[in-house]
Amino acid sequence: MRSRRTGLAVVLARRSAQGLGVAVLVSLLCFLVVRRLPGDAAYRIAAGRYGYDLVDQEAADAVRDELGLDRPAWQQLGSWLADALQLDFGRSLVTSRPVLDEVGYYLVGTLQLAAASLALAILLGGAVGVLAARRPGGVLDRIATGWVAGVRAVPPFLLGLLLVVVFSAQLGLLPAVGHGSASSIVLPALTLGVSLSGLIARVTRDAVVEVGQSDYVRFAHTKGLAERWVLLRHVVRNAAVVLVPYLGVQAVILIEGVVVVESLFAWQGLGHALVHAVFWRDVPVLQATALALALLIVTINTLVDLAVLWLDPRPRRLEAPA
Amino acid sequence: MTETARSPHRTDHLLSVPKAIVRHGSHTLADVADLRIEPGRALTIVGESGSGKSVLAHALMGTLPTELTAEGSMSIGPTRFDLADRRGRRHLWGRELALLPQEPSLALDPTMRVRQQVAEGAYGWRPRDAAALRLADERLDHFGLANAGSAYPHTLSGGMAQRVAYAAATIGGASILIVDEPSKGLDANALELLARLLDDHLAQGGLLLMITHDLRLARRIGGTVMVMRAATVVESGPAEEVLTTPAHDYTRQLVAADPANWSFPWMRRATASASGAEPGVPALVSAHSIAKTYGDRTLFNDVDIEIRAGERWAITGPSGVGKTTLGNVLLRLTSADRGTVVHAPGTGDGRLQKLYQDPGLSFPRRVSLQRALRDVMRRYEVPEARVHALLAKVGLSPSILQRRPTEVSGGELQRIAIVRAMLPRPALLFADEATSRLDLASQQATMDILMSELDEIGCALLMVTHDRAMASAVADRQLSLEVQP
Repeated sequence: MRSRRTGLAVVLARRSAQGLGVAVLVSLLCFLVVRRLPGDAAYRIAAGRYGYDLVDQEAADAVRDELGLDRPAWQQLGSWLADALQLDFGRSLVTSRPVLDEVGYYLVGTLQLAAASLALAILLGGAVGVLAARRPGGVLDRIATGWVAGVRAVPPFLLGLLLVVVFSAQLGLLPAVGHGSASSIVLPALTLGVSLSGLIARVTRDAVVEVGQSDYVRFAHTKGLAERWVLLRHVVRNAAVVLVPYLGVQAVILIEGVVVVESLFAWQGLGHALVHAVFWRDVPVLQATALALALLIVTINTLVDLAVLWLDPRPRRLEAPA
Repeated sequence: MTETARSPHRTDHLLSVPKAIVRHGSHTLADVADLRIEPGRALTIVGESGSGKSVLAHALMGTLPTELTAEGSMSIGPTRFDLADRRGRRHLWGRELALLPQEPSLALDPTMRVRQQVAEGAYGWRPRDAAALRLADERLDHFGLANAGSAYPHTLSGGMAQRVAYAAATIGGASILIVDEPSKGLDANALELLARLLDDHLAQGGLLLMITHDLRLARRIGGTVMVMRAATVVESGPAEEVLTTPAHDYTRQLVAADPANWSFPWMRRATASASGAEPGVPALVSAHSIAKTYGDRTLFNDVDIEIRAGERWAITGPSGVGKTTLGNVLLRLTSADRGTVVHAPGTGDGRLQKLYQDPGLSFPRRVSLQRALRDVMRRYEVPEARVHALLAKVGLSPSILQRRPTEVSGGELQRIAIVRAMLPRPALLFADEATSRLDLASQQATMDILMSELDEIGCALLMVTHDRAMASAVADRQLSLEVQP
């Protein structure tokens, strides 16, 4: 027990340090990338505020003065970092609302979408994987392999369009875009969830097959335990020890998918906000959004670490005992 | 029905197998007739690995791998079962027919507390079954594992894991117990505790089928012994009779291969004087208060050892206790956390050699043995003639070197590994469980070859083994490692 508690402290300390490092690095990279974008930032921001038709050089110069865009780069970065340390992310250059409020709003949207699609992916991938594992090499296994390959081969934007064509345009069952009603989350979550489910199905299948052949599962059988209890008590938990760390790896793909899928379905989330912030050169929103996405990945990995710690009591050694 | 199944042991039933055949494709792995197990009298099947004894047990249990087929029948009391029907005996598992698996530490779920794993074997178990948990605690307590209930399997020693597995296998009250190679990796103490559990099972009128290659355990449990070789039974009868005055040549070989019965010219047991360190002989390796820890587990602490020229040391102890690590530290293949290891001058240049447990891992897989040996010959400027002389001594023809390591048997490969280790004329050889993967006959032959060679060139030996009988047959000094708290 003592080792588990120290394990918890180690995970939290390591991930916090990582979170801090990621935050600084992402902010820096973001800033550099924005500086390298072509075009006059002040002009783009003014256009974002007043519309392209009403913008002229005068308005752009006013924006430049107001925001101090002609200051040296390091000064701009320094003042942003200093403010960020006090959790003051400034105001949007376009809407003038506090960035924290705006990003908070979009974060909720992204979390909803990510949670829904992850749950869907685990449910779908897990079910396909477990079914395929029942008889390796059997018909179900081969169908599952086809499913995995198919899902992996179709990129999310294409899959999203296909779903829109089928469910919105043809069947008229679900809204194609938007963020208002509860049913509008179905298609974006389905797009992401199905994309992610392929690899989860594959990993689940292999893990369940391996665990199913283990000595402890055989022993559970000969102890006289009924099949469903063997599955629930021994197979699922031990397969999860393999699967859960893999979900952490998938987090990057999830976030990447979020950006594409949100834009496709006009879902009000961080990916959507990020694309617009890039377009309008809304640097504070851009910085904060990228930061939120990066910290989201660190958070998911922290949760994964904690889940593994809870699932598997064995100490993780760097050196194998001889 | 419920009442009879719940009472731990029925004494009126007999297990009989008129005929049992196990095949892999067209290859027969076991072909046995007229097997009878009576209440209170053990049936032990002995034989070397590959003799078919283990598949026979699994055929009776109904746990054969799917690629093997069984035919024949088995009767428990008046009920007859078809061995070909794999699922036909599932409802007996845990209630009437129990199996103690081969590697208990692998047979326990690493993510579940011990108490839960024992409780789920109880008759009519349901999730969150308080009565089953109480019964599990009682059983664990009875086996001297009162504090292990809330532990996870990775914290248990090999012997403890075996007793936990025993508790889990028998909590359902099965009267027929099949025990598959229970002695693997257990030290003498743990083995005696297990033997007492099996005695108890028999004393209560239980039926016991034991599969083992450990003749000492077979003799200790008594009852009837069946000797299997190449899928068939060559001899059977009362344990004492078969193991003391074997009628069949093969049984005689088996008995002679037991380290306790060894008799070789290189053995020093008569001259026990070597145990007192002779002051004139220089120490090759001297270690002072060395300690090593892995994670939060202490392997050993404050160990002092001096290995002098020509001495034969054995490090013994249960598996996983750190024997190999200690040997590696002494050869400075691994560093100690604390303490010093000093090698005497003149022990460099390949004069400290190691023989690995799995020879397959100590040769490059895709390269012929010839090339693997030639590198060593070039490094230590060994003439070709010496390699051939050594090969002749270990009973191999030079042509075997044309093959790759995967194309020779484990026993042959270990003999080639011995030849390779001898090429630099070592002053000390570290043999790390060098024969534990071989069956008794090959183990005996390999140890004879190794020790004859060491004896001839006066090389010291540091052997790591969990087999105390082998340690006392070979070594004149022993260091015993115990599990650290």
